[in-house]
Amino acid sequence: MTVAAATSVVQASGLTLRYGRTAALTDVSFTLYDGVTGLLGPNGAGKTTLLRIVATALPPDRGTLSVLGADPRTPAGRLAVRRRLGYLPQDPGFHPGFTAFEFVDYVAILKELTDRRARHQEVRRVLDAVGLAGQRGRRIRALSGGMRQRVALAAALVGDPDLLVLDEPTVGLDPEQRLRFREVIAELGEGRSVLLSTHQTEEVMALCQRVVVLDGGTVRFEGTPAELAAHARGRVWTSGARVRGALASWRAGDGRYRNVGDPPADAELLEPTVEDGYLLLIDGPADEETGLVHEETGPALGETGR
Amino acid sequence: MESWHLPDEDLRRYGERTLAPPVLWSVEAHLTACADCRDRLAAGQPGLARDGWARLDAELDAPVPGVVERLLTRAGVAEHTARLLAATPVLRLSWLAAVVSTLALTAVLAAVLHPVVFLAAAPLLPVCGVALSFGPRADPTYEIAVVAPMHTFRLLLLRCVAVLSATTALSAVASLALPDVGLAALGWFLPALTLTLLTLALTARLGPVLAAAGVALGWIAVVAATRGAGAGGSAVFVPAGQLASAVAAVLAAVILARIHRAFESPRRFR
Repeated sequence: MTVAAATSVVQASGLTLRYGRTAALTDVSFTLYDGVTGLLGPNGAGKTTLLRIVATALPPDRGTLSVLGADPRTPAGRLAVRRRLGYLPQDPGFHPGFTAFEFVDYVAILKELTDRRARHQEVRRVLDAVGLAGQRGRRIRALSGGMRQRVALAAALVGDPDLLVLDEPTVGLDPEQRLRFREVIAELGEGRSVLLSTHQTEEVMALCQRVVVLDGGTVRFEGTPAELAAHARGRVWTSGARVRGALASWRAGDGRYRNVGDPPADAELLEPTVEDGYLLLIDGPADEETGLVHEETGPALGETGR
Repeated sequence: MESWHLPDEDLRRYGERTLAPPVLWSVEAHLTACADCRDRLAAGQPGLARDGWARLDAELDAPVPGVVERLLTRAGVAEHTARLLAATPVLRLSWLAAVVSTLALTAVLAAVLHPVVFLAAAPLLPVCGVALSFGPRADPTYEIAVVAPMHTFRLLLLRCVAVLSATTALSAVASLALPDVGLAALGWFLPALTLTLLTLALTARLGPVLAAAGVALGWIAVVAATRGAGAGGSAVFVPAGQLASAVAAVLAAVILARIHRAFESPRRFR
C-alpha cells in the first residue's frame, strides 16, 4: 500500500525564550502534523510558554516558526495564523456575569464575526459541539468547572479553526468530566490539528497520535506514544520486593513490585507503557545518551490515526 | 378579514429581509392580521416559514443587551462594538459608581478648599480607566483577546475612547458644581486627553499599570510645581498651560500612531 507523507502544520526550529535570567525554552525544535499531538512534561517544563508562542500570544527571543504555512513574526503572518487558530489558555478568563452564549458571542466578535445573525448561528453551533446546547443561557458563574472548560473550548472552536492549541484542557476536572472532555477533543482531532499540553501520560495514551516531551525547556522526545513506550523496552521488570537501586519501584495492584531502571540479569521483564518511557526520559540519563532528541521522522498518513 | 392587501413588491422584499423600518413594522403588523397575505408570502417563498422558526429560535436564546450595551446602541454604536465595550471592565456600573463618587468628593473639596483639587483630580480618572481597561491583571479574557484576529490596539483604543467619553461626561456635569472660576472650570479637559494619550503611548513599553502610575505621578508633580497661577490654582489651567497641554496631546498621538504595532507584542503587558 502506498502511504503519502503527512504535511506539517507547525514547524519550530531553535525556539529560545528567557524570562529575565530564567531560560523558559532553549533551542526547541519540533514538527506538528494533523491529528492530536500531546505536549508532555512536568510542571515548569515550558509547555505553556511553547503553546503561547505557537498561538502567537508570545514572540520567541530566537528561532524560526511556521504555523499553518505563515510566519507569526510578521504582522500579516500573525493575522493569517490568528484567523485559523483556536486557543484555550491554561486559565481561561471569563466575565462571570456573562452567560455561556454571551461569552462565546464576545469571543466571536473578537474573531471578526460581526454579522449578528451569522455570529449567533456560529455560537449555537460550537456550544452544541461541546454538548452545552441546553446551557446556553446559564450564567458562567453558575456553571461547574467542567462546563466552564467546555465553554472555553467552544470559544476556541468559533470559526472552525484548522489548528487548536489547548493548554492543559482537563486539569482540575473530575474523572467523569475528564472522560467527557477527552471524547470531545478526540472528535475535534478528526479533521484538524490539535496541540494539547498535559502532564498526564494517561491523557497522551488516550488521545494522542504524536507526543513531544518537554523538560527543562528542551525537547527530550518527539514521536508516537508507542515509540515513547518502546524507549523503556527491556528496562521494566517485576519483583516480589522493592528494588532499591531502581529509578522507580512501586507496588502494583497485583501485589508485586513494578520497577523501572536497569534490570538484573534474571529479571522478569514487563511490557513497558508510555508512563515508563516518560519516567526514563525525565529521570533518566542526559539527552546525548538517549539519542531520542529532535527525532526528525514525521508520520505518514494512516499512521496518525486519522 | 382585512380590507386591503400588501403589494407584491413589499411581500417579496419582506421575504428577502430587505425591508427596513417603519415599512417593515407595518408589513409585519398586517401579516399578523391577514391570513391571505400570509398565504401569498408562504406560496412565494416556501422556505420562509421554516427560516422564520429558526430565526425565532435563534432570538429566544440570543443575549439580552445590558444597560451599557443598550445605551451604546442607542447612541449609534454598532451592535458588535457595543458588545465588546460592554465587556470592558471599567464600563461596569461599579466602576462608573466609583467615578461618580470620586468626582462628587473632589467637587465638595474644591468648594471647601480650592478648585485645583477638582481640576487636578478629574484628568486622573481616565488614566485610571486606561490602567484598568486592558492587560492580564484587569481583563479576564486578555489572553484570548490577544490571539484573536481583531487588532489588540483597536480593542484598546475602543475601550479607551469609551472610558474617556464616560469620564468626560461625568466630569463635565461635576464641573457645574465648581465655585465660579469662569472657563477655568473646564481646564481639566485638555489635560485629561493628554494624560490618556501619554498613558497609552507608554503602555506599549511599560504595560498599563506602570504607565498610568508614572503619568499620574508626573501630572501631580507638574500641578504642584506650577501652583498659584490663575483662578484654577495652577499654570496648567491658564491659556498658555492649556496650549502646552494641547501640544503634548498631539505629540503623544503622533508617537502612539508610530508605535501602535508594539501592542501586538504582548510580552510587555504585565
